[in-house]
Amino acid sequence: MRTPGLPSEGLDEKRLRLSRRFLLGTGWCGFLIATLGPALANVRYLFPNVVYEGPTRFKVGRPEEYPVGSATFLEEQRLFVLHDPEGFRALSAVCTHLRCTVGQFVPPDAQWKESHARCPCHGSIFAKDGRVLQGPAPRPLDFYRVSLAPDGRLLVETVAIVGRDYALKV
Amino acid sequence: MLPVWITGTRIWRSVFRHDLPETDLDRMSTMVTNFFLHLLPAKVNRNCLRLTYTWALGMVALFLMGLLFVSGFLLMFFYIPSTGWAYQSMKDLQFAVSFGPLLRNMHRWAAHGMVALVFLHMCRVFCTASYRAPREFNWVLGVLLWGVTLFMSFTGYLLPWDQLAFWAITVGTSIASYPPWIGETIRVLMLGGHTVGQGALLRFYVLHVAVLPAVLGLLVVIHFWRIRKDGGLSRATGATPPPDTGRTFTPGPLKTYALMEMVKGTSPMVGAQAPEEEVPTWPNLLFRLVVLFGVVLAVTMFLGVYFNAPLEELANFTHPPNPAKAPWYFLGLQELVSYSALIGGVVVPGLLILGLMSIPYADQEAEGEGLWFTSTRGKRLALWSVLATVPFTALLIFLNARVGVRHVFPNAPQILADILNPATLLLVGIAAFSIVIGRRMASRRMAAIALFSCFVSAYILLMLIGTFFRGPNWAWVWPW
Repeated sequence: MRTPGLPSEGLDEKRLRLSRRFLLGTGWCGFLIATLGPALANVRYLFPNVVYEGPTRFKVGRPEEYPVGSATFLEEQRLFVLHDPEGFRALSAVCTHLRCTVGQFVPPDAQWKESHARCPCHGSIFAKDGRVLQGPAPRPLDFYRVSLAPDGRLLVETVAIVGRDYALKV
Repeated sequence: MLPVWITGTRIWRSVFRHDLPETDLDRMSTMVTNFFLHLLPAKVNRNCLRLTYTWALGMVALFLMGLLFVSGFLLMFFYIPSTGWAYQSMKDLQFAVSFGPLLRNMHRWAAHGMVALVFLHMCRVFCTASYRAPREFNWVLGVLLWGVTLFMSFTGYLLPWDQLAFWAITVGTSIASYPPWIGETIRVLMLGGHTVGQGALLRFYVLHVAVLPAVLGLLVVIHFWRIRKDGGLSRATGATPPPDTGRTFTPGPLKTYALMEMVKGTSPMVGAQAPEEEVPTWPNLLFRLVVLFGVVLAVTMFLGVYFNAPLEELANFTHPPNPAKAPWYFLGLQELVSYSALIGGVVVPGLLILGLMSIPYADQEAEGEGLWFTSTRGKRLALWSVLATVPFTALLIFLNARVGVRHVFPNAPQILADILNPATLLLVGIAAFSIVIGRRMASRRMAAIALFSCFVSAYILLMLIGTFFRGPNWAWVWPW
């Protein structure tokens, strides 16, 4: 115990003394960390770890069902199965602008010299190789990986984006 | 009046304590002591009773908000936020619930009304330069309130789970994914997943019925509190508007008028020119508010009885409607987005909100507060700004359709298509026009008038184009 007003013996007063401001500052910082920390945890809480959405791997039928030169629109899966002499491709039908489903491919007309599909929402036009011919879409349509399942049916993986040159030879 | 055997009881006295006030002095002191009335000042300046000054736009927006809260609470008793039941409960509300159609219709029309009224109120506040010190921050709050109102509408129209709901939210949340780096995260956070499904419906429901109403309510309360603390509604200095109340001030018997408010600093009395410009709130303002509420309720009910809120077919995630149009107040934005989602959906709206918020900090002149467009010069400038914006915007859209980047250079990089589109050019054009006006007229208020008039006219024009001139595949059509 020391008497107030008298210097304590053997102690360096200046080094041990905490200023009131410093103590308050530490206290407030501790309070903020203690309240903001749990609050930030809620942000992580809002990102789900499990979602109940459609499958990202699914079978789309046997290769024979798609004649050479066809572009078949699969409504449920929102993609086109293209079959040309190079092989099979799965072209996404989800517009790269704002994710509307693009319409079916229509034959060339006076304005567009190749087969094309239009997005109904903001008018983007895509060619069969995914290129943007017109409109606000910022990049070409995606191609998904197509492979042959053990049972001989075509397997599409929408999480596996592949290049335009990727084609499945059957 | 109620008989004494009711008002004389101990129970009645314990609730009300006082009789109805009979003199102006008693009424004013009731304004201060009554819990509900103390939101209003005891006395108000005559200017804020002038219909041609405020057009009562803010109060109408507040009343519509009240109607929305009440009708919304009632709708919640029948609405089930599940993808299997949501549309079903809308059909029930339409066909199986007593007064269900009326409530849903009123909720819809009041929501549309509120979106319009909040915007018009902002225009009124701008035009009378009511954002000047000390009201700068209240203007900022007002801009936020506009944003929250739009977000309320946006979350609300997913809930019916019809075609409009599904595709508008698909498009809307995709716009949210455009900001670089954080965009995709924001989208997952909004949807609670990667597609518009049960997770998104529940999130939008919770936002619509709990989170956003709480935010809106809090901001509105601060907005109104600031009106009081900032010295009441703005008004022109100098010329007094002619008295239009037809009443004279009656002091209470045997008392001198000495009403004090328990407020430090700026209070409604500060800045008042003279006591004779002020009238007691009860009955002058209070009676007008009651009448106004009656009118708002009557109009909303009339619309609810005679016009049905649309409900499209059940949400079909395989097939967007063609054209897929948002509600009218978002069609200007949709038109901008149809040039470039990044610019039209993120950059332009973001800069617009920042620009609006910074107006009171840029324009700190003293001239012309409380006067429509400040001066005759300001009125002419606003007119010319509107007349210039309309053909300029139309020209940009025409050029984009004929010699747009993708027309001339089909393989141009995306950045070029983003920069050279009507949204960017419009923004640059308006900003340049405003700066030139500010320099030439040597007045920041004039620059602000030019900026705001151009923005409002471009906004409305784009909305009209999106509504009437866009058809299947968002192609240009003539409405006739």
